[in-house]
Amino acid sequence: MKTIEANWSTPKFTKQTFQRALVVAALVAGGSAMAQGKPACGMNNGKAATGEPIALGAVVGKTGPDDFSASALAAQAYFKCVNANGGINGRPIEFTIADDQWNPEVAAQVAAKLVKDRKVVAMVGSSSFVECGVNAKMYAQEDVMVIAGVGVPRECFFAKNYVPVNAGPRVSATVVAMYAAQQYKAKRMVCVIPNIPSLGNWACDGAKDWGKANGVEVDVIAIDPGSPDATSTMLQAAAKKPDVVILNVPKGIMVPMLAAAEQQGLAKKIHFVSSTPAYNFDVPKTIGSAWSGNFDIHLEFMPVESAGKDNVNWKATMEAFGGKNDPRDSFAQAGYLAARIATEALLKLDPKKIDRATTSAALREVKGFQSDILCRPFYVGAGARHNANSSGPIAQVSGNGFKQVSNGCLTAADPELADLRAQEKQLGL
Amino acid sequence: MMPFLVSGLGVGAVYAMSGVGLVVLYRSSGVLNFAFGAIGAVAAYVAWSALDREWPLALAVLAGVLAAVAISFAYGRLLAPRLAASDPTVRSIGTLGLALVLLGFTEWFWGEQPRRLVLPTDSQAIELADVRLTYTRVIGLAMAFSMMAAVGLLLARTRIGLAMRALADQRGLSAILGVRVLQVDTAAWVISGAFAGVCGLLLGNIVRLQATVLTFLVIPAFAAAIIGRLSSLPATVAAGLAIGILEALAVLVPGFSQFRAATPFLIALAAIVLWRDASRKA
Repeated sequence: MKTIEANWSTPKFTKQTFQRALVVAALVAGGSAMAQGKPACGMNNGKAATGEPIALGAVVGKTGPDDFSASALAAQAYFKCVNANGGINGRPIEFTIADDQWNPEVAAQVAAKLVKDRKVVAMVGSSSFVECGVNAKMYAQEDVMVIAGVGVPRECFFAKNYVPVNAGPRVSATVVAMYAAQQYKAKRMVCVIPNIPSLGNWACDGAKDWGKANGVEVDVIAIDPGSPDATSTMLQAAAKKPDVVILNVPKGIMVPMLAAAEQQGLAKKIHFVSSTPAYNFDVPKTIGSAWSGNFDIHLEFMPVESAGKDNVNWKATMEAFGGKNDPRDSFAQAGYLAARIATEALLKLDPKKIDRATTSAALREVKGFQSDILCRPFYVGAGARHNANSSGPIAQVSGNGFKQVSNGCLTAADPELADLRAQEKQLGL
Repeated sequence: MMPFLVSGLGVGAVYAMSGVGLVVLYRSSGVLNFAFGAIGAVAAYVAWSALDREWPLALAVLAGVLAAVAISFAYGRLLAPRLAASDPTVRSIGTLGLALVLLGFTEWFWGEQPRRLVLPTDSQAIELADVRLTYTRVIGLAMAFSMMAAVGLLLARTRIGLAMRALADQRGLSAILGVRVLQVDTAAWVISGAFAGVCGLLLGNIVRLQATVLTFLVIPAFAAAIIGRLSSLPATVAAGLAIGILEALAVLVPGFSQFRAATPFLIALAAIVLWRDASRKA
């Protein structure tokens, strides 16, 4: 099975695409689930939970430029599985998903409703482009921990109570730059980033700062995502005579850029690499044969088709408890992981004493969480910010699909992660 | 600087052609067609779908353009006449409704998965100032000029052209004098639809196959048409080319390059302000 959706992107993903992609996904996942048998989750005792429900919530950007709800849907599937298997020591999870419509004002409203009215003990599997900037402070004030699925803007990685399971665009670009330097002996690179508030240069500066420390010159080009003229952007990048061009842009903008690069004959002269958004089922066929074996991409998780036990369990969970049309993509992997992290933390608590304070404390205790979907064990900790996922493998476009080209995972040597590395040391990781 | 000038030419040519498409409808029916880009987007998507089903190129292109003509014809025949008695502003805003309906439909039907409309003319190119100007762009340039000439001749030298101009100037009077209003109007919508279809195909290839982007590319075309004062075809073509080139050159302006999509808006704004001043003086 191939990937269906990238980890962060702006363009819309609407009905027909959904239907087509998901039919394929459902068929393949269905086939493998039959071989996989029953999913394992929570207490895994096959008894339905009947006690007093535990309220959890998620905020996702569903309607708007793109549909980011896959992570919360996967979390929901996992919680259904938990509820059918003993719940949290007998107590079922009541999971509410709210759509922020990519609107900061709505994001604030729906989060307040979940936190203040529904009194959720934690947020799990959220994925939103706008909510980090708006809600991070409120989450900290109310002491609600958010084990998010996918975070994109900088604010998602600089908040005390917001813990994205994914790596984010900055880490992604840094890792792919490191790979390119190693693989192609590149000394000069250009990193292309759309001029979007709270994403902007930050997402390319990881590669730049790493380059500074390692003798690689990385220029950042901030582009207007609304400009119809991709050729000039590619000429601008080529004018800097780079060995490698790093594309750190949504797939809708990336495809015309690659087309322009191909038309200008740059595909043969310069190596093109990308952060996670290029890891999408439709991309290889769309960009065409010129890029087969010629376009490397960092993945924030292991490939969706990987045979790891937890990855197989994720698919089995989706098959048994998810909707037929719920995506089986890397967003869904993130949501599944977030739900597992939360469930395992809650299971350690006395079921009579599960409230917000005990839950937040238990989540901060998370350390050494294992999954073959991740490159390294995950942790939360009590730090002022979170970016525990800072590695990933590299895949290459190959024919109409992808193949893994890195030997295992690479970890971002971004100087900005120094504080987290120190914390990891402190935690004994 | 030269490479950006050349790269701006391709996009500029299609802006120019879109501008001509807008002017031809305005000069013949007094309507500013906001749906021009959206109709073009449908054409591009239809052509993509046909190519995806491995139809021959000529047939795919024809299907795309015909779809655009059909939409434009349907609107011009069924809805536009009901607004004919209204204010020109109302008639123009009516097309904005069509644009939004088409945009919604295109996004719903084709979705936003990344797609590429590849034409065989993409693989060959003329090399100018180290930039490869693909044949698709060369065709765009050639079409902009030939369409300008053809429409110019149509309006100036043919009977239907005369009827179109008469209708735009004095609708009621023309009708009394025996101009077949509905027929002439429909002809204008059909021509405009064909323009929209061809421009949509070229823009879907040169820019990107994305409904929102293609729909709102009507803005630079408006800018070009406004500079041509909604009447002069040569001025419209020149303005379209200039906008494309200036937008490409904006890459070189530090601090502005990440906002360069604003170039056509700024030019349109400047044109409107200058135009008003000029007409006051006159």
